[in-house]
Amino acid sequence: MNTFMEFLERSLVPIADKMNNNRYLTALRDGFMVALPLIIFGSIFVVIANLPFLDRLIGEEAFATYQDALGPASAATLSIMGLFVIIGIGYKLAERYELNAIYGGVVALASFLILTPQVLEGVTGVIPTASLGAQGLFLGIFTAFVSVELYRFFVNKKWTIKMPPGVPDAVANSFSALIPISLTLTLFLVVRIIFSYTPFGTVQEFIYTVIQQPLTALGSGLPATIIAVMLIQVFWFFGLHGQIIVNSVFDPIWYALNDENLQAFMAGTELPNVVTKQFIDTFLVGMGGSGMTLAVIILIFIIGRSRQVKELGKLGAPPGIFNVNEPIIFGLPIIMNPMVIIPWIIAPVVVTIITYLAMSIGFVPKPAGIIVPWTTPIFLSGFLATGNAWQGAVLQLVNLIVVMLIWWPFLKVMDKNYYEKEKKEKK
Amino acid sequence: MKNILLACSSGMSTSLLVSKMKEAAEEKGMEVNIWAVAQDKAVSELEKADVLLIGPQMRFMKKKYEEAAEKVGVPVDVIDPVAYGRVDGKAVLEKALELMD
Repeated sequence: MNTFMEFLERSLVPIADKMNNNRYLTALRDGFMVALPLIIFGSIFVVIANLPFLDRLIGEEAFATYQDALGPASAATLSIMGLFVIIGIGYKLAERYELNAIYGGVVALASFLILTPQVLEGVTGVIPTASLGAQGLFLGIFTAFVSVELYRFFVNKKWTIKMPPGVPDAVANSFSALIPISLTLTLFLVVRIIFSYTPFGTVQEFIYTVIQQPLTALGSGLPATIIAVMLIQVFWFFGLHGQIIVNSVFDPIWYALNDENLQAFMAGTELPNVVTKQFIDTFLVGMGGSGMTLAVIILIFIIGRSRQVKELGKLGAPPGIFNVNEPIIFGLPIIMNPMVIIPWIIAPVVVTIITYLAMSIGFVPKPAGIIVPWTTPIFLSGFLATGNAWQGAVLQLVNLIVVMLIWWPFLKVMDKNYYEKEKKEKK
Repeated sequence: MKNILLACSSGMSTSLLVSKMKEAAEEKGMEVNIWAVAQDKAVSELEKADVLLIGPQMRFMKKKYEEAAEKVGVPVDVIDPVAYGRVDGKAVLEKALELMD
């Protein structure tokens, strides 16, 4: 058993290292971090615009005016999140290459806009906002990578215009970026023109049909989600931040699915997806952190007898309410502890299945596409994520009880071991 | 004044440790500056720090940080998982002081 664990640890750390230090995945993750404040700002206003019972309270007409007034807040942020993610990725990748980062962001954005449709239902001189949201997300990510690589290539070629000494830095910078940016954007323009002769019409349509749709369809299914959830747990079992490692691959898919739901929610039509960013953040992480350790903390208060375990419960409870659970993971410990590997991996899978079924059947509304920060306490997060539906909070309660039942026998054995050891030490 | 920088995934769990480390420093009557950041901010904060400690769950970032830290001559280490789980500010503070010597 021990050698097997060592073998796993030895093979997992390099994987985590590769995934986390891969320059593209790092830029992708950090790029989403740049967009996050804007996404959350937009989400807050979607929540406020859709307060329950308000339409009955103030009348439908006043409610429509109210919603119209608040609309721009999310339309300018959440709905066109692709733009901010692209700038973020371009910036972060350029920064890593020690280029002038802001030009990385700008060149990524401009390249993306060149590839984006600039006509909507026959009206020219417009950019459809739908292409700037999740629909354009995959294209945006690829474009950001490629454009910064090209920009870097041309900068390294030193085909820049040298300014005589004495010219202010800002002026010199703007010229030194001129040739690399122009060459990069020209290449993207050529790509756009080539694609206009294909049946797809635009690159965006091509990427969306050939890559994004199949990938998101796969990612929205239960099997892929279970695999992702198990991977997160296995990484954490070895003390590695599984969520952050798995997110760097799954975030584009989960955010794209999330946005499809948001558009449907705001249009008042049926929500297409169960698995979304919020499915993970609210119903798996949002229960005390990865592995839903809030249930473990509550169990400690109910059945804990060992002093060490009880102390840990007290230590872990305040951060646990806000879904920060490193004290429990490292303190209980959960990492490398064969006694808890079964509940640690099984419980999230069971909760994934319960949540998926409850939402598919329609017992609980699907996530409305609102981004609820993962630090939002349980019940409130479930209520907000499902578009202000009490069923979301009830589902979290059911899941919490299920996790407690799964953990019960394992925690009991562990607690007993500690308790008896403590008794012996006293004597 | 010593400057100790902690980094984890989002700077949340290490900030728990920061307050405990500050308490431990106060007991010792030491003046230290301790703060926690998210993993993507660690490199840009390095210049202000005398030592960088990473949460054990982010230990796969060590190599990347070491490259950056070498340039500014800041020692880097991973926090001991047991001390991390117990939020043992005293142990981590001592480790940090040891690294700076």
